[in-house]
Amino acid sequence: MDCRTAQPSLSAYVRGELPPDVRSALQAHLRECPACLASLTALDPIAAALGQSQEPPAPQGFATRVMAAARSRGKPVVAGDWDPLHWWRMTPAPMRAAAAAMLVAGLTAGLATGWTARPATRQAQDTQAVALADAVAAYHMDYFGDAPDGSLADGYVALLAGRNGEGR
Amino acid sequence: MKTGSFEFNVRELAMPTPSDEELMLNVRDGDLAAFEQLVPRRQTEAWRVAYRFTGDAAEAEDIAQQAFLRILDAAPRYTPTAAFRTYLYQVVTRLCLDRHRKKRPVLAESLPDPAAAAPTPEEHAGARDRDRLIQTALDSLPADHRLAIVLRYFEGLSGVEMAAAMGRSPKAVERLLARARAALAPRLELLREK
Ligand SMILES: [Zn+2]
Repeated sequence: MDCRTAQPSLSAYVRGELPPDVRSALQAHLRECPACLASLTALDPIAAALGQSQEPPAPQGFATRVMAAARSRGKPVVAGDWDPLHWWRMTPAPMRAAAAAMLVAGLTAGLATGWTARPATRQAQDTQAVALADAVAAYHMDYFGDAPDGSLADGYVALLAGRNGEGR
Repeated sequence: MKTGSFEFNVRELAMPTPSDEELMLNVRDGDLAAFEQLVPRRQTEAWRVAYRFTGDAAEAEDIAQQAFLRILDAAPRYTPTAAFRTYLYQVVTRLCLDRHRKKRPVLAESLPDPAAAAPTPEEHAGARDRDRLIQTALDSLPADHRLAIVLRYFEGLSGVEMAAAMGRSPKAVERLLARARAALAPRLELLREK
């Protein structure tokens, strides 16, 4: 940016009306050009004083830490993205027994392939259940609120409320 | 414009570099990789507001991280009615004010200088002093004045954008900004003597 483009943008700058890229180009010019900085100081001394301060970048590894925290609490839960593992852990005992019976039948039928994968699956269930329970406790299940009556999500809410409701 | 048709167009026109709003629509559908693209893109804005508000790098990180996680948690309800950047400012602003209500502000003088560890050439010493003076002046302002100054002068937000971020009318924001400027000006006088 040169003085010819910088000068007419100063008033939009102090009103916060420049697009971010134009704004940074102007700030870069102001750091190099005492004449334009003097014009800005005359127009708005506060903008001139604060605009010269060093802008600290976000700390190293910030995004990585956010993503680690995001993964540890599990994915956002949406109705179209139903995970049968959640359903299993949150299901009351009688239904679980029924499901277990079906599982036993499945295992009997497919013992050779089914058996080896079991321990890893069990581990994943526990981790995901903890992550979901945390999110539910922290946000009072508010993102389940919109589930239509009779939908799978609605049934899920009912089950959850039955299991965790008395502690609240 | 109806939200539905806007969403449709956004997806139809998906380009090699998706917009923030396109990424958020994918996050809404459970795509954590889209969130992973969005966080580094907008981390500076979130962190900087929190840092200028609190004057403390660790607390700024905590606030900025909370902001992104809240956005992730609320993603299933996301609709692209405003720019994502404005939405992010709104969440960070709210977290800053919440934090302020819960505890006493930290004074800049009592903070370790993040730049102090590395040896700096002489000519940067003046800039560092000036930064510290600015931060001290900011810290002495009431919380809402401080936020108004940060959003306008460090982030370059317009009156309308500030109103959205702060949950006030544009008129109220202009009045707030005028009071904040009046309070800050004498505290920055020292800068001019340098
Ligand atoms: Zn110039």
